[in-house]
Amino acid sequence: MSALEELLAHPRLWRGRGTGTPAATPTRPSGFVQLDRALRGGWPRGQLTELIGAPFGCGETRMLLPVLAACTRERRRIMLVAPPAAPWIPGWRQLGVDPERVFVIRATAEEDIVWSCEQILRHPKTGALLAWLHGNRSAPLRRLRLAAGASDACAFLYRPPAAASQPSPAHLRIRWRANGDRLHLEVIKFTGGRVAEDKPVAIRRDDY
Amino acid sequence: MIIEPETPFGQGLPKGAGSASPQFALLPPMPPERNPEPESAPVSAQPLWLAVELPHLALDALVQTGSAASKPLVITEDSARPRVHDANRAARQAGVRPGMALADALAVLNAAIVLDYAPEAIRQHLQTLAAVLLQFTDHVCPEPEERRILLEIGRSLRLFQGTTALEARVRDTLRRLGYTPRIGIARTPAAARLLAHLRHPARPLDRDMLRRTLSPLPLTVLPLPAADITALHGIGMERIGDLLRLPRNDLTLRYGARLPELVDRLLGDRPEPMPRFHPPETPAFHLEFDQEVNTTGALRFPLKRLLLQLEQTLRAGNHCVQGLELQLQHRDTTTRLTLERSQPGSRAGDWLELWNIRLSRLELPAPVRGLRLAVPRLLPTGADPAELFNRLEGTHDEPGFLARLRARLGDDAVLRYAPTLHPLPEEAQATCSLERFPALTAATTPAQRVAGASLWLCPPQPSAPPGPLEWLGRLEGGWWTGNDQRRDYAVTTDRQGRLCWIFRDLRSGQWRLQGFWG
Repeated sequence: MSALEELLAHPRLWRGRGTGTPAATPTRPSGFVQLDRALRGGWPRGQLTELIGAPFGCGETRMLLPVLAACTRERRRIMLVAPPAAPWIPGWRQLGVDPERVFVIRATAEEDIVWSCEQILRHPKTGALLAWLHGNRSAPLRRLRLAAGASDACAFLYRPPAAASQPSPAHLRIRWRANGDRLHLEVIKFTGGRVAEDKPVAIRRDDY
Repeated sequence: MIIEPETPFGQGLPKGAGSASPQFALLPPMPPERNPEPESAPVSAQPLWLAVELPHLALDALVQTGSAASKPLVITEDSARPRVHDANRAARQAGVRPGMALADALAVLNAAIVLDYAPEAIRQHLQTLAAVLLQFTDHVCPEPEERRILLEIGRSLRLFQGTTALEARVRDTLRRLGYTPRIGIARTPAAARLLAHLRHPARPLDRDMLRRTLSPLPLTVLPLPAADITALHGIGMERIGDLLRLPRNDLTLRYGARLPELVDRLLGDRPEPMPRFHPPETPAFHLEFDQEVNTTGALRFPLKRLLLQLEQTLRAGNHCVQGLELQLQHRDTTTRLTLERSQPGSRAGDWLELWNIRLSRLELPAPVRGLRLAVPRLLPTGADPAELFNRLEGTHDEPGFLARLRARLGDDAVLRYAPTLHPLPEEAQATCSLERFPALTAATTPAQRVAGASLWLCPPQPSAPPGPLEWLGRLEGGWWTGNDQRRDYAVTTDRQGRLCWIFRDLRSGQWRLQGFWG
């Protein structure tokens, strides 16, 4: 059923008057004007967002900070699953994130990571999930997609570059790449939305 | 008869006074008019016994696969000369009776299935059912030899609103699990056993009624050796009433202590010790098939029965489960399947749905002869009612969520960091307990702000001299602990594009990596 809905929501499929526009996905403003425009409002909620790229530490977490700060202001949690390094809480705090609501889950096995993400997404207090997946397989993501659909949290999955060539059930897939003082974001899949421009969105890395 | 004023139904009180008095405010509403029968008399103080006899337990415990319903099936007792223990409807219609020699039974039957009676399996079944029946009372006493369970229900009557309602619930519970019970209720366990065995409809609650109920019954129903029965017949006694009328002392002289003891126990003049049943720590449920099963679809119905047993047992113990193990028993091997849910629960329907998904994807390696459902861990009480409310409000139980994560990943796998006042970044945070987060005193200290708002922290490690730098500030601190540090912090981009958070140790002049900016 979800496959059919996904198909019907495809931007290239024209279904006649009135039915062609899919229901808008709720979003959270990303804090960047160009990105909000490309994502039609911001980061989707209740959907999986894949952030594909390497290496860790290029600013791909920092670009989410406006969203994360907004989550903790709403007294919701930020769950970090299997981050490659420990978060430096004083830094997060300076950027407006309440450290009381930042949880770290340490896990190594892919199965455990996916299971934890599922549990976290099913919890109503979760504001944002940031998970670092190292596997290339997309099959476990189907479960996560279901779990995400039941919540209104933002679910960000960091995946290695090789995952870009694999099909994925995620709502939004973005390939990121550091280039000088900018982070280039290339939307490679956007369910129900138009990939607005072919050229990637560039975010200045020292803007934030 | 003196009626005590604190009796629950307030029989001695004038009408209207009892129901309006405040101490009854929390009780369920009282029945508007009282039943004139002695059933509603205040009996809560005295014991009352309910006997459940399961005459066809050996048959009920077997799962009859669909095709075998019309095929005759005989269960035999293993002895020198095999006898029929029980037979299904098809076999009984053909004339097979329990106690018949197997050879005679086979002579009248056409292509019958013959199975061995397994006393140990029956005993386990009875224990499972005893655990199920614990939801009605705390005093349950299984008697595996006679395939019978006794329940003391005197103190449960008010909760379940009378004997009739309670009996119906017990019967209904057992029927839904696939068993055919016979139920008797009486003041004494001995009389309850008799009434259950005879399917007697009387429910004698006091001694006189009990006497009147028992008197017309023939002596042969008493659990006595055949020699005693013959002897009693010999002196012209046919019914239990005749026996009750005799003086006990003379009975003792003539027949020994056994007979008067039985009479006393029947009437309740002498208490009968009844051991209490304690359910096993980790319950397991077992079913066997009459024939080997080759498709997973055929496993669903028996599995549902097991899950219903589980649900009832869990309800009795106020437990719930999060994971289950299902063992498919083949001729020589066992296939083990495990299932874990995100939320603990006990409802059979929920579990069945999950197992159906699981089973539909399974290819049976060999035909299945039996199913066993094991519970690795019972979760403590209270989780289930909480689940109810959470489902209503759409929220989850807070400690349960983190507890599940910790249960699977380890205690130190789920953590939070609390900022400290220490200026050195690697000391500026400490892991803290999940339950309590220390009150945050002030914002980040100026000394901490000098190092910048980096996001990720690594243990300090040597770093190559960097390229272009963006300076953050100079940090001096730790001299009061002897760990004097003077550092210049900066952010740099390395060759891979990472934003590195580095510092130069002013004493040694070396560059070290502190973490990642992004």
